[in-house]
Amino acid sequence: MNYILEARDLRKEYPNKLALQGLNLQIEPGEVFCLLGQNGAGKSTTINLFLGFIAPTSGAAFVNGLEVALNPLKIKEHLAYIPENVMLYPHLTGLENLALFSSLAGFKYKEAELLDYLHHAGLPAEAVRRRVGTYSKGMRQKVGIAIAVAKHAKVLLLDEPTSGLDPKASNEFSQLLTQLSAEGTAVLMATHDIFRAKEVGTRVGIMREGELVDVRPTAALNAQELEQLYLTYMHN
Amino acid sequence: MRIFWLLFSYEWRHFRAAKGLVLLCALLLLTGLYGIYYGTTEIERQRQHLTTLPELTRRNVEELKVKFPGPADAGDIGYYHTTYAVHHPDAWAALSLGQRDVNPYYVKLRLLGLQNQLYATDNTNPMKVLSGNFDLAFVLVYLFPLLIIALSFNLLSSEREEGILTLLLAQPVSSGVVVGAKLAFRLAVVLGLAWLLSVVGMLWAQVPLDGRMVTWLGLSTLYCLFWFGVALIITALQRTSAFNAVTLLGVWLLLVVLVPSLLNLGVAAARPVPQGIELTIKQREEIHAGWDRPKTQTMNRFFALYPQWRDTATIRERFVWRWYYAFQHLGDLAVAKQAAAYANGLQQRYDLVEKLNLLSPAINAQSSLNALAGTDLPTHLKFQRSATAYHDALRAFYYPFLFRKVEFTHADYAQEPTHTFTSQPELDTALRGLGKLLLSVGGVFAAGLLLLRARPINPR
Repeated sequence: MNYILEARDLRKEYPNKLALQGLNLQIEPGEVFCLLGQNGAGKSTTINLFLGFIAPTSGAAFVNGLEVALNPLKIKEHLAYIPENVMLYPHLTGLENLALFSSLAGFKYKEAELLDYLHHAGLPAEAVRRRVGTYSKGMRQKVGIAIAVAKHAKVLLLDEPTSGLDPKASNEFSQLLTQLSAEGTAVLMATHDIFRAKEVGTRVGIMREGELVDVRPTAALNAQELEQLYLTYMHN
Repeated sequence: MRIFWLLFSYEWRHFRAAKGLVLLCALLLLTGLYGIYYGTTEIERQRQHLTTLPELTRRNVEELKVKFPGPADAGDIGYYHTTYAVHHPDAWAALSLGQRDVNPYYVKLRLLGLQNQLYATDNTNPMKVLSGNFDLAFVLVYLFPLLIIALSFNLLSSEREEGILTLLLAQPVSSGVVVGAKLAFRLAVVLGLAWLLSVVGMLWAQVPLDGRMVTWLGLSTLYCLFWFGVALIITALQRTSAFNAVTLLGVWLLLVVLVPSLLNLGVAAARPVPQGIELTIKQREEIHAGWDRPKTQTMNRFFALYPQWRDTATIRERFVWRWYYAFQHLGDLAVAKQAAAYANGLQQRYDLVEKLNLLSPAINAQSSLNALAGTDLPTHLKFQRSATAYHDALRAFYYPFLFRKVEFTHADYAQEPTHTFTSQPELDTALRGLGKLLLSVGGVFAAGLLLLRARPINPR
């Protein structure tokens, strides 16, 4: 089986903390894997290891079959990333930011195409030519979504991506994820939002103290059962 | 390369948006232009002053012709006649004034003892010397590093602190290319300014078109590169913008202020130089003692040195000029060792600083620019040697009149030797400085790149 994302005994230790202990994880194309867990459980560490932002203490992360540590640039061609708080160049407009990040990813879009991406991400038309410095957190998040979508990556790494989005925008984002998943894009999403995880996820994994303690297909659980399962792990 | 140029072009947009930096660059440009104006004005003032000296000599001759309408005793003429040893500046001096403000650029000479005339200079306003020269070299050596610090202290840290770096490095872009593009843009801005000011300065000062233009630009470029290398090292430490700013300013203070001061103290202690005033006093005492010594003793000492005048008549008078000038000259000879030790001491101090200036690229750059402009200490010492030779020539001119008792006529004024000395660049020193700067640049960039390799950029 060719996994688009894979972690093999992935471990990350800091001098005073074990951030991730022996993570084994495989994600297939088109799958939406939601990582649930409290702050410090190791969700963001996992994403950072897949992005190559930090080096593993042992084990290896793979993206599209390429080991992250050995192919730090190549793997980023296959990844798009939306952080919890998308920060952009404040003196550039939303359109200019999208043009810059798309160009860095190797895409040369016409203005109409860029406007289309921003429109589909839900950014109001009046905002696209305004400086990002005047944007709300939600508007920046939408530009971040447009940047990720415009990259046409095989994998989306999302770290609390709906943080700061209003319910309508969050719902639209969920629909977008479902659509991308249907097109074959794999998604690894770290979130606190159990109901969003149930809504868009193919599988959910529960992390606690750097360990992936449980993985369930979302189809096998309803939202209440998932919440109960999550709370059980958290209270243990 | 496509990514590099893309980031480079966006750096221009980021730079334009940072109004404070644009303002700072404009301010430095104006400061540099003022530096050029200051330097050219100072050198023009010195040139104007030097052009008045032949007129002063001419007036002095006219006065002497009135005072001595007929043939005169050459001793009287030698005593009352003043002439000048002049040190003309090279055109480059306007860009790097060096020591031309503290060392005399002309020496007023009579046929008397040389040493006290050599060091009897105009008083200098100590407050003016304290503030130093605000020439282009000062702007390049002392102020440009501050601009480089202002442009580079937050090379990556601001984007990390603003959270943009995570999104940037999530793209297939190496952190090396990001750092390289950012550094290259800042380098282009700084070198653009440095070269613009240098070219304006060269045109303004009307320097001759020769290899020194390339050397000057090379020195400025390498010096700026050195500071960018320091900024790269600090960037590679991946600390906060505040830490970077304080550290870079600390390095500036260390290399531009502290090390030069310590080096100055250390060199002064390691190479003690006898005070010029001691030399002057000793020579003065020797000359004054000449009045009291038996004339035969004085003249025998003199004839031992200049046997060609031994056959002149024995002095029986109370006063004759040839005796007077003989003990004047013996006064000079009495302090010849001290005079040589003084000049050698200064030269040795300079040589020691030249050896140690690898410790401070600021001193290295400054002394290299001074050497290029012919405004450094060795040039001044050459001028002093030239003035000494001129005094020798004056003595050689007057001695036949004095010892052969030939009368000095009005026509003889025109036969008197004249002096001129124009600064020459110390090209070897400047090129050595260029080499040392290259070493410094290599050192800081190697250290920065090694640090970056050892600690890959963490975007968080």
